[in-house]
Amino acid sequence: MIAEYLVKEAIIPDLRSGDKAGVVREMVEALSKAGSVRDVDGTTEWLLEREKLGSTGIGQNIAVPHAKREDVKKLLVTVGLSARGIDFDALDGDPVNIVFLVLAPSDATGLHLKVLARIARLLKDKVFRNSLRSCKSAQDVFSTIKEEDERAV
Amino acid sequence: MDIEIFILWASALIFISVLTSKLSDRFSLPALLLFLLVGILAGSEGLGGIYFDDPGLAKTIGVFALIFIIYYGGLDTPWKSVKPLLAPGLILATFGVLITAVTVGLFAVLILKFSLLEGLLLGSIVSSTDAAAVFSVLRSRRISLKGSLKSLLELESGSNDPMAVFLTIGVIGLLAGQNASGVQLLPLFVLNMGVGLLAGYLMARLGIFMINRVKLEYDGLYQVLIAALILLTYSVANFSRGNGFLAVYVLGLMMSRSAFIHKRQSVRFYEGVAWLMQIAMFLTLGLLVFPSQIKPIIGPGLLISAMLIFLGRPISVFLCLLPFRFQFKEKVLISWVGLRGAVPVILATFPLLAGVAQAHTIFNIVFFVVLTSVLVQGTSIPVVSKRLGLDIPFDRKKRYPLELDETEGIEASLNDLIVPYNSAAVGQPIASIDLPPQALIVLISRAEHFIIPTGSTVIEAGDVLLVLGKDSDFSQVQATLSKLREPEEKSS
Repeated sequence: MIAEYLVKEAIIPDLRSGDKAGVVREMVEALSKAGSVRDVDGTTEWLLEREKLGSTGIGQNIAVPHAKREDVKKLLVTVGLSARGIDFDALDGDPVNIVFLVLAPSDATGLHLKVLARIARLLKDKVFRNSLRSCKSAQDVFSTIKEEDERAV
Repeated sequence: MDIEIFILWASALIFISVLTSKLSDRFSLPALLLFLLVGILAGSEGLGGIYFDDPGLAKTIGVFALIFIIYYGGLDTPWKSVKPLLAPGLILATFGVLITAVTVGLFAVLILKFSLLEGLLLGSIVSSTDAAAVFSVLRSRRISLKGSLKSLLELESGSNDPMAVFLTIGVIGLLAGQNASGVQLLPLFVLNMGVGLLAGYLMARLGIFMINRVKLEYDGLYQVLIAALILLTYSVANFSRGNGFLAVYVLGLMMSRSAFIHKRQSVRFYEGVAWLMQIAMFLTLGLLVFPSQIKPIIGPGLLISAMLIFLGRPISVFLCLLPFRFQFKEKVLISWVGLRGAVPVILATFPLLAGVAQAHTIFNIVFFVVLTSVLVQGTSIPVVSKRLGLDIPFDRKKRYPLELDETEGIEASLNDLIVPYNSAAVGQPIASIDLPPQALIVLISRAEHFIIPTGSTVIEAGDVLLVLGKDSDFSQVQATLSKLREPEEKSS
């Protein structure tokens, strides 16, 4: 169910930034280039605003920044990987390698919760995390997620 | 008229008006138009045969009603969604109004052979869009506009009436020779708006402080206190040469952002008052109009309407939004949602009372312009927004039971968080986790289904929790759940 929301063109296999704000912006910009997001500044700010309530770094080198926004038309997921690691204020203090960014329309609470739960569940699997980390291209990332998504029904 | 008869008529007309609002949903006509029709039908040229020809009384009722309608407009403005649009909204509400007034004014000089000032007077009167009309169309007609358009339109229509009032009174002053020249209007404008703003702000601070401190014996008195506060705010601003309507709007806006005793009841109460005032006002105005006098001005009226809809409004919208990032089609839609309503008709009674030469023609034209604007624009907004691809299909707006609108009186919102994999809370029942008492986990999204939690529900890693509470409490929940599991328990 994630694959259908995943914006393939916005996947970044090698994030340039090393900090939270930079990474979120980079990923939102990628979504914007793919034509999925219009207001880059506003959306970035909104996601970081959510981070202020508590980091979405959920451990195991994973972060899932997410927010709901009125101007988002359909639910969007994109993925960014960073080999050197990002400081995401995660609870365990470890740097983050895998970022799943989720944007949902403000009236799609149910779907939003489901997608988040699905992402959290898939990433629980160490093998999946490792195969994601070893991806070199956006296409790699996309098919790895798609495969796992279809396998783990 | 005998008081008994008056009560009978008033109650019957209000009763009918309320019932006609049902028709407005069904036949997609704005409710205010129907109220007007009820008034016209009740008038001396209609079925009711009530003769009413007192612009003084109409103006009194109109101004009084307007105070409450504008207050409610402020109270009902969703501050959070409006805040990022403050700049374009306020420019539309000031310069936009001015540009509309001037373009329509010049056109009136051309086709009606008005003098420049008379033309400007007509332009000023029809220059503001109507909050009640815009709201009722946007809300009742099952229209969802994309993104921030709806908020922008609501902000604009709620806040542009003071400018129209200012321009109208200013031009009447010029016509009467009170002000030597238009140049003198500029400092007057700054004073008028500045004092209005300040008066509204100060009265709101004072009022909210009082409401929360006064400890009245009877709950019902709080709404009476607020009614007095609203009228007093208008008067204070007015007598200090400020704009009373702006002051009242600011008061409403401030009240909506603050916490005060019985706030929820108050919002409900003033919603009712605003409706009653709207009905009373439109009925009165409907009675005041004589359809036979409208007939001769249909030709020029149509021209002025067309001019306003297709030129005046678009020019002002496109000029005002030049510095902002809006798409072309968005500006087209904003131009189209330029509904006129009560304010122009009330303002049109001002020149009647001031004894302006063309006052009757102006009144009838204004009435006609409002009618066509509401009929043409009001009924076609769904079609236009669809054509422009700026509407959200209604079925997509399906409501889940998981949503909480910003609700007056509850400062809580719903936020979600993912339980970290190595959280100390994993494997624990909710009851044993030390959560802030003011926050409630209302739903857990796990795997493919939703769980309604109880105290004994055990938290799993990767659960998504939907938490109801204030932002500060939510942060605390997140902090609690982010505590690491003891290292010796750590599994790989």
